[in-house]
Amino acid sequence: MAGRPYDLPFAQDGSGRFLPWIIALMVYLATLAVLAALATREAVSDWNAGLADSATVEIAPGPDVAATDAALAAALRLLRDTPVVAKAEAVPLDEIGRLLEPWLGGDAVRSGLPLPRLIDVRFTPGIRVDYAALGGALVAAVPSARLDTHTVWHDRLKAFGESIQLAALAIVVLIAFAAGATVVFATRSGLAVHRELIELMHLIGSRDSYIARQFQNHALSLALRGGALGVALGSGTVVMLAIVSRPIQGALLPDINLGASSIAAIAALPLIAGAIALVTARVTVLRALQKMI
Amino acid sequence: MVRFQGVAMRYANGPEVLRDVTFHLEGGSYHFLTGPSGAGKSSLLKLMYLSHRASRGTVKVFGHDIETTPRRLLPGLRRRIGVVFQDFRLLDHLSARDNVALALRIAGIKEDVIRAHVAELLSWVGLGNKLDATPATLSDGEKQRVAIARAVIGRPSLLLADEPTGSIDEAQGMRILRLFEELNRIGTTVVVATHDQRLIARFNHRVLRLTDGAFHVETRGL
Repeated sequence: MAGRPYDLPFAQDGSGRFLPWIIALMVYLATLAVLAALATREAVSDWNAGLADSATVEIAPGPDVAATDAALAAALRLLRDTPVVAKAEAVPLDEIGRLLEPWLGGDAVRSGLPLPRLIDVRFTPGIRVDYAALGGALVAAVPSARLDTHTVWHDRLKAFGESIQLAALAIVVLIAFAAGATVVFATRSGLAVHRELIELMHLIGSRDSYIARQFQNHALSLALRGGALGVALGSGTVVMLAIVSRPIQGALLPDINLGASSIAAIAALPLIAGAIALVTARVTVLRALQKMI
Repeated sequence: MVRFQGVAMRYANGPEVLRDVTFHLEGGSYHFLTGPSGAGKSSLLKLMYLSHRASRGTVKVFGHDIETTPRRLLPGLRRRIGVVFQDFRLLDHLSARDNVALALRIAGIKEDVIRAHVAELLSWVGLGNKLDATPATLSDGEKQRVAIARAVIGRPSLLLADEPTGSIDEAQGMRILRLFEELNRIGTTVVVATHDQRLIARFNHRVLRLTDGAFHVETRGL
């Protein structure tokens, strides 16, 4: 086919003229959905890495500072004697004050308010920790201590990430169906426009598959062009969003760093659009031609 | 080669344009198909080149009963039939070369073979200098010759021509009919539909005469 025109005059009819633009729009939306899913996966992964192998022990304030300090020291001793604990450090009061500042104001520490004490615990990586046993031992030794393993956060983040990815997958599937339906419509229009020439090709001995190849190659070409445009626009949009959101990245949003596999997934979108167009056009033509003599 | 038995044909729910047509074309024969305008010549050809189905009767082409032949076998039968349409039916966006080549491309012939054969045949019909011309730039006579070249390029077993000389001058017409005779001599069965009685008189071939949808075979001159 390369180097010579199609046997059917696709360039002279309007049936497929809009197809690249519609495919471009669909691939643009699919690009955004896929990039959102990939970025979320990366972010959740980063957040989980930050929470993994760590826990926080909270010591509720005692009747006086001395009692709270004693409880803190007892908890630290127990933790440091536990084999799976790599490091246990008391969080300085000043830092606790800073953490509570939005709720208690800047003078919480100096005003003598009874504040909880925190211990930052790091476990030896790769070793399974029995959180229930550790929490039980802590409470037995220091009744005012509570072990926070971040599992609630971890589970919520995981569920959030999976929800975003499922939603993105659903969007991409819907877009694929819409693209297929658009190709069916365009192909049927083309079949109607070129009916006489298709009849002629049949009369000079053309098989249905030869005619279908004309339509499928044309649809593939249009979809690849539209798909490439859609990916370019989608990627451009994401780059622009990344630049605009740079000042708040790190504070609220994770850094958007896509790996090679993510870039490959985006680059595959025009090819997937092309494959959908090719198969849909072929099946549509073969079904329609079955009704002709 | 072609056998019609009690054949009738109608378009959609209209009246019968052919009725009780019975004849047999032997392989290697040459026939003129004639009759007044509207007698059904083109309709008869449509049945022969498998464009339409008979509403009654039996049509057999190359031994296949067309009514019962599976659809997948029809392209193979059609490739053995060359058709020159009255209105040429060229593809306007393709050059003369590609119009003629289409018949071979459809049959899966290699491009280098196609290029050589097409150029040779178009030169033979006097269009060697118009290989890349599109139909819009050709005269009716030139279009007719492109259509004829497309019909014969695949060396068909059966050649059907609907008024093939209607758009060309007498000398070109004779040249085309001589080409058909050459093909006939190497075994191609030829049917030429024409209402030109003078043309028929210049050749010594059988005449199939259609009058108002009914059929008569004349063995004049044999």
